[in-house]
Amino acid sequence: MIASIKAEWRKNRFRPAFLVSAGLIAGIVVLFYSAEWYQAIHPGGPRESVSILTLFPDQFVNNVMGAGFPLGAAMAIVLGALIAGSEYSWGTLKTVFTQRPGRLTTLTGRVVVFQAWMAIMTVIIFAVGAGYSAVIASAQGHAIVWPAAIDIVKGMGALWLVLAVNGSLGMALGALFRQSAAALGIGLIYVLAVQIIVVRFIAAFNGGTYKWITNWFDGQNATALLSSFTSPAFGNPTPPTIGAEQAVLTLVAYLAVFIVAAAALLRQRDVT
Amino acid sequence: MENITVVETSGLSKRFGNGVLAVDSVEMSVRRGEVYGFLGPNGAGKTTTLRMLVGLIRPTSGMATVAGHSPGDPAGLAKIGSLVEAPGFYPYLSGRENLKVVADFARINHKRVEEVLDIVELTSRAGRKFGTYSTGMKQRLGVAAALLKDPELLILDEPTSGLDPQGMAEMRKLIKDIGQGNRTVLLSSHLLPEVEQICDRVGVIRGGKLVTQSTVQELLGEEGVLVTAQPIDRAIELLTGMFGAAAVSRQNGSIRLRTDPASSLEINSRLMAAGIGVSELRPIERSLEEAFFQLTGEKQGS
Repeated sequence: MIASIKAEWRKNRFRPAFLVSAGLIAGIVVLFYSAEWYQAIHPGGPRESVSILTLFPDQFVNNVMGAGFPLGAAMAIVLGALIAGSEYSWGTLKTVFTQRPGRLTTLTGRVVVFQAWMAIMTVIIFAVGAGYSAVIASAQGHAIVWPAAIDIVKGMGALWLVLAVNGSLGMALGALFRQSAAALGIGLIYVLAVQIIVVRFIAAFNGGTYKWITNWFDGQNATALLSSFTSPAFGNPTPPTIGAEQAVLTLVAYLAVFIVAAAALLRQRDVT
Repeated sequence: MENITVVETSGLSKRFGNGVLAVDSVEMSVRRGEVYGFLGPNGAGKTTTLRMLVGLIRPTSGMATVAGHSPGDPAGLAKIGSLVEAPGFYPYLSGRENLKVVADFARINHKRVEEVLDIVELTSRAGRKFGTYSTGMKQRLGVAAALLKDPELLILDEPTSGLDPQGMAEMRKLIKDIGQGNRTVLLSSHLLPEVEQICDRVGVIRGGKLVTQSTVQELLGEEGVLVTAQPIDRAIELLTGMFGAAAVSRQNGSIRLRTDPASSLEINSRLMAAGIGVSELRPIERSLEEAFFQLTGEKQGS
């Protein structure tokens, strides 16, 4: 197990896709803060005005949660599809499977390293968000007050869970299609289009009789979990239909299902 | 050479989902210390058989024991080095880093990476990314990865595939060197000179069936003597009396005799004594190519 984790880390630590994604997600957080800051100090545009108070460090957890879904989720799907699918296209799966560890041990190593990468992405998002919010506070002459440590930890856990679930979906699809292109294409279409359309249809069908079904979609739960960190400083949000605890449990169940599906596909199927 | 089998299959078969029977009841036996050539035309089932032996594909029926274990068993894999089809490595990592990844999976000390790089003469280019390697360098790295475990059994699937003549010669020399001592090498190929030069024993597969398994000498077997004599009918009559009708056949104005070439002197004396003029008398050996085409039913030059 340790050997597989070590090998997976060695091969993925400098993987261009991961490094680019880490840079991209950091850039997006910077872009978000820059745009919001500009809008806060230049009110009167077509968009609703942004309160500068929401950009200070005490609110940074709320802000960075927005990077989790659907953007972060989409990036996680792409990375999951790549880490699983490219093993087939490069022929590296046969190289790995003919070494000492068994197939499930190999997969366990891959899952551990992949989820560690999702944790690294989470840390990057939080670090950049915290840093930029501190820059804004300093520039505005506002005191730097951080949220409670427990809120930061909870926020990081929630964001990691959303990335982990979607990354695992990408991995399962990569194992299913035995390539990355189809896996990431279908994964992205599912998260960014199909799921949204289906949820809207079910919610509207027969006067909303079956709306409760929408509470079991992973996207709905991800949104509910990330939204649960929204503070009153952002206005009065609509009361959530899915509680944070239920969202966590549902997402954990999705995570388990996707990993088990990937394991079953890897264990049972021939490597041709 | 100890007569202990390292690879043993019994009724090993594989039928794919599309109904194609790729391997049909193969009974293969590879002995410790030998270089075993697994010969067959393209699509005969060589790679599918090798994939089953290393556990990448599950057989539909039959069984196999490889290095004392079931295919794919981690304990067995620890004793096997393999290169099945094209070498698969991470294109963004250097050759050396790729070997370190493989070494980590196999729980091998990284010191061994430098040793195998040296064996395949790739040390000077080990820092370059795998994606920039030539076909020959990729094959060498594949062999290096297969050697990392210092394996008891080395399985190489068409290792000279895609190489230029010089690369092929170097790879053959490398395999010959690797096959010295107690290590067993199972080498699949459709290149007959390669097998003839390197292998101790061969198995020939056609249409998924193992049609023969023997030493190269046995396969070449059926030595004979070619006689050109006049009058030919009298010569045939005399030789039939000497060796029996089954051993004598007419071939393009000559006589082909299935007998030990050592009897050439006696044949010449008897023909001369009978007043038959002999213009040619030479031993004939079947080439591996001839034997292969005969066994596989393929046409030469097709």
